[in-house]
Parts: sequence; structure tokens; C-alpha cells
Amino acid sequence: MIGYRDLLLRLTIWFLLTADLSWANIFMGVAVSLLLPTFGPRSYTAPAILKDWLQIMWEMIVAVPRAYFEAFEMILFPHDREEITVEPSKPRRTPGLLFLDIFLITFTPKTIVVKHYEEGRHEVHWVRRRRRR
Amino acid sequence: MIDLLSSVCFGIGIFFWFWGTWPLVGNRSVLFKLHSLSVSDTLGSMAIIIGLLLKLPHEWPLLLLALISLAIWNTVLGYVLAYCASGRGRYD
Amino acid sequence: MSWLLIAMILALLIPIYEACQDEDIWQKMLAFASIATKTSLMILAISVLRDDWMIGVVGILILSLGNASLMLLAHILRRCSLDTEGVLKE
Repeated sequence: MIGYRDLLLRLTIWFLLTADLSWANIFMGVAVSLLLPTFGPRSYTAPAILKDWLQIMWEMIVAVPRAYFEAFEMILFPHDREEITVEPSKPRRTPGLLFLDIFLITFTPKTIVVKHYEEGRHEVHWVRRRRRR
Repeated sequence: MIDLLSSVCFGIGIFFWFWGTWPLVGNRSVLFKLHSLSVSDTLGSMAIIIGLLLKLPHEWPLLLLALISLAIWNTVLGYVLAYCASGRGRYD
Repeated sequence: MSWLLIAMILALLIPIYEACQDEDIWQKMLAFASIATKTSLMILAISVLRDDWMIGVVGILILSLGNASLMLLAHILRRCSLDTEGVLKE
């Protein structure tokens, strides 16, 4: 059986792509998104995870203006130094949440996740401002 | 008014494109170029699409889809390229 | 509107030049990723300029299928380079 988040994602893409809210189209969309097979192993448990999802959705909305702010910062001041740090990620993440975590870090222009370790750490690549003399 | 706003969005987008694409020619590491490419290709293109969205708002579902898929794909590609390019074991 | 297209074509020339000139495969991949995004954005802009939304639908399809092929290619390249390194060590 397909989880409700998968169903929601597929229906959103379908309605954005077709832009048509007639009954026939709604029926087709529901049918197609139920018929498509699920990909990969998923675990739908623990109602506490819904809170995590809401929180990360909010963080994604906040991330967009922050990304633009960092972009202007990079344009106004030259960022020449590169460095790599290892940062801990939050514990007990499902694969979907982990993907969104990595997405959030990589979306802002100053940081890119280079590698993710199984035991819960990211290797993050930074650009920093040149030190003033 | 709307025309002016969308022109401003186009201007920002094109400026980001040039600023972020220019370091490609230089002699920096792949990761540094990825940082500036994420400015130009993700944020600049998003600005341009927002400009288009202001110009023809009745096509909003498709343009919204374009906006979302642009953000997700470019970010994921950045991560994958960074991971694969640094897998060689040296950071030049 | 046409100034936008001219500027886009100029911006497109930079990664094309880089893809021709650089020998390192990863720098080439970066340039190609940049070209892919820029051309699909150009398709969208052209569709608005010519007021023909069918072209725009094509552009959005390209955008949402996206750079999947480039990601697969990156994985293959990484595996290839790891393999050749292993052979060289032996």
C-alpha cells in the first residue's frame, strides 16, 4: 500500500502538470498515482515524525530568502577561502528526512554537502570570506 | 508596474547568471565552481522564472512546477557532482 | 524582452567555451550542467516571447526530467575512475 506522503507528492505533480480540476482529470490522477509502484524500501511509522516534516517544510520556506541573502553576500564580498568541516546531523532520520536535510544544506550557496556518513555525520564544504590583514 | 517588476526580476537573474558563470573559466577547484554555479543556475534561474510568472500569471501551475523542479534538481545535481568529484580522494 | 534573450545567449557562451577548453572531465561536467539549465530557461523565455505556450510546456518537461542523465553519468564516471585507479595500484 502506498503511503499518504507519496500519494500527496504524485497528486501535486499531476495537478500542477495538467492544471485541470475536472472530475475526469481528478479520477485519472488518483488512478495513476495509485497504480504506479512504490520505489525503494519505506517505513511509515511513528506519528512524531509528522512534526519533523512540518518543521522541515517551514525551514525550506525560510531557506529561500536566506539563499538569496547569502548570494548577495558572496557577490559583495569576495569569498576566497575554502574549507571542509564535519558536522553532526540530527539522529534517527528516515531516508526522506535525510534527503531533505542534505537538500537544505546544499541549497544555500555557501555550503555544499560533500559526503554523508552512515553513522550520522555530514562532510560540508564551505566558502569563507578572506581574512582581513 | 507588473512589467517593471518582472524586468527587475529578469535583471537580477541575468546578473546572477553572469556573476556565477564567469568563475567557470578560471582555474579554481570543482567545489568552488559549484558554489558559484549554485548562485547562478539555481537562484538566478529562479529569479527569471519568477519574472515570467509575473508576466503571465494564468500559467502559474506549470511555472510553479518549473520553479520547484529547478530548485530540487539543481541542488541534487550539485550534491551528486560534489560527491562524485571528491571521491577521487584528492581536493585540488 | 529580446534583450533578455541576447543576454542569455551571451551567458550561454561562457560554459560552452569552458566545455571546449578544459580537459578535466569534472570541469566539463559542471559546464554541461550549466548549459542544460540555461538552455531550458531559454526555451521558456522564447515561449513567452513568441506567445506560444506549447514551446513552454516542452521546456518545463525538460526542466522537470532535469539533469537525471547527468547525475547517472557522474556516478558512472566516478566508478570508472575508481576502477582504473584500482588497476593501476595492482
